[in-house]
Amino acid sequence: MSGTVQDTRRNPARRIDWQQHVVYLGFLAIFVFFAVVLRDTGFLTVRNLSNIVLQTAPVTIMAIGLVFVLSAGEIDLSVGSTVAVSALSAAVALNGWGLVPGVLAGLGAGLLIGAFNGALVAWLRLPSFLVTLATMGLFAGVARSLTDLRSIPVTNGAFTGFFGSGTLFGIPSLVLWTVAAVAFGHLAFRETRFGAHVLATGDNPRAALVSGIRVPRVRLAVLTLSGGLAGLAGLLYAGRLQAAKYTLGETDLMTVIAATIVGGTLLNGGKGSIVGALVGSLMMGMLNNGLILMGLSVSDQMIVRGFIILVAVALSLREKAS
Amino acid sequence: MRTLVALLTASILAAPALAVEGITTGPNGETATPAADLILSPDEVATIRQGHHTAALAWHEMSEYTRAVDRGARDAFADLGIEVVAQTDAGFDAARQKADVETVLAKHPSIILSLPVDPATAAPVFQPAVDAGVKLAFVDNSPAGFVHGRDYAAVVSDDLFQMGKKAADAMAAVLGGKGKLGYIYHDADFYVTNQRDGAFKATIEADFPDMEIVAEQGMADPARSEEIAQALLTQNPDLDGIYVTWAEPALSVLAALKAAGNSHTKIVTLDLNEPAALDMATGGNFAAIVADEAYDIGQTAARASAAALLGKAAPPFLVVDSLAVTRDNIAEGWQRSLHTDAPVSVLEAAK
Repeated sequence: MSGTVQDTRRNPARRIDWQQHVVYLGFLAIFVFFAVVLRDTGFLTVRNLSNIVLQTAPVTIMAIGLVFVLSAGEIDLSVGSTVAVSALSAAVALNGWGLVPGVLAGLGAGLLIGAFNGALVAWLRLPSFLVTLATMGLFAGVARSLTDLRSIPVTNGAFTGFFGSGTLFGIPSLVLWTVAAVAFGHLAFRETRFGAHVLATGDNPRAALVSGIRVPRVRLAVLTLSGGLAGLAGLLYAGRLQAAKYTLGETDLMTVIAATIVGGTLLNGGKGSIVGALVGSLMMGMLNNGLILMGLSVSDQMIVRGFIILVAVALSLREKAS
Repeated sequence: MRTLVALLTASILAAPALAVEGITTGPNGETATPAADLILSPDEVATIRQGHHTAALAWHEMSEYTRAVDRGARDAFADLGIEVVAQTDAGFDAARQKADVETVLAKHPSIILSLPVDPATAAPVFQPAVDAGVKLAFVDNSPAGFVHGRDYAAVVSDDLFQMGKKAADAMAAVLGGKGKLGYIYHDADFYVTNQRDGAFKATIEADFPDMEIVAEQGMADPARSEEIAQALLTQNPDLDGIYVTWAEPALSVLAALKAAGNSHTKIVTLDLNEPAALDMATGGNFAAIVADEAYDIGQTAARASAAALLGKAAPPFLVVDSLAVTRDNIAEGWQRSLHTDAPVSVLEAAK
């Protein structure tokens, strides 16, 4: 499921490595555990399981962007702030001019922030960690000043249906967005030259440059893509909550990073998995859900969640360390 | 009604200008009813107990205050034979609160108690619970568009005007009724802090002619309160007292005062917390902390939601009492507000 320059080159015979599948085994183990422990308390109901997918949709979509960014050896810490700016831009434009301008404003804001990050990284050769650390604060400030800390209600029914509570053939729109983003991400990552260039850049940028890959352009592209997907996540939040506020996405960064890493993407580039990120994100959502349903206190939920993430990350990263 | 009448009388006597503003009103302008007026008869309690109901607590965040509300609610539910089946913490994130509510609904609770993170946009967060027939009671505010009685049982909060007024009275007591004041208020549209801050200012202006607010500064983001405090103190190093909208930013003001070596300026704030109480107990800058009876908020919300199970309507906006805690009454004040013993460090220091 994962694209790996390193593995195929150095060790083609070890393509199927159980450690690559830690996230799937972990997901399954946690699912079975909750299914048994919470059998009488609604965990296994279709409603509850679909809630998990709906709740994690924005995180999954941000995680897809982060897989590209991390695989290219960069990082994007500004996704949370991008979500807020996009959601607010969309809400303001929606209320002022209607559906299409609203959607364009939200996605456009995300793409612009991503391109801004990307341009600084690609052409000024600044480290993406520092660039996006700075823009994380910068755009959090923009989000706060944009509407003077007020939350903006989203009342456009078409918008909230399309990005939030609507369904198509009985399937919730958030599920469709997740499936579409994962399919698009997976194909772009695994089946296109762009995906190969991303991995090559992350694996060894100098070698990639020598072999004719336009490395700065790859860096610009992955950060722009990450911004655009964060913009889409912002639209989904605005649709789901029927409102936008500067706090949207603020607490998501660590969840997105954890979902991506647990899903088998390396922090320092050269390896990534879109499907892994999806499963990682669902695993995070399922943990939150199951620990609440177990009736644990909030403090106990945090302790158990932290411990499980630690174990999952340790298992999925062991290969790289050894 | 007792408190309300007393309050009305007090404000009319104090100054005519206060008569209008001097009443705590709810998020939608509801008239306040003292929490003690909500009574369940022994028969009603027995009926509720027979129902074997369950409740979930979907908090906005976890703090000492929320823990006290939580404890009050759990104790009241235990008395009513209602089992608490889930507790969540949204970390001030409306999206997470929506997920939390959806998640706890899987356990089919009869009741959900919550403090909506963002009332303006909380309707979609709680609508699934309303649709599922869950009885809701809220702390501090209700989702915009929700109708009392139809969508939720009650909103429970502090007697906000009284809290601000008590802070002003405490400030006057500490400074002997005269001096220069700094005023750090919450610069956001939140009726809880807005009413408390407004009551402090109005009381100082109306009741204490020898005390003057010479510097005021709004604070929107608690994380930036130290910078705000530093700027205020740089421009006004000779303040006798500073009012701070609540205890967390007040700690930043304390840090700024300490950095400046200032032990003269007294701080009065609202809501108990340990570092502030410890400073007060050791005779530091903190002079008084006005605390609400947070435990009672939880008790009242729990009883209002349980009453709704019987189809009995609770008043829309219930308020609990508050008290000014100073060095002299820390132990008692802590008990009354949070229903737990003050931390040992604070008790030791106050001896």
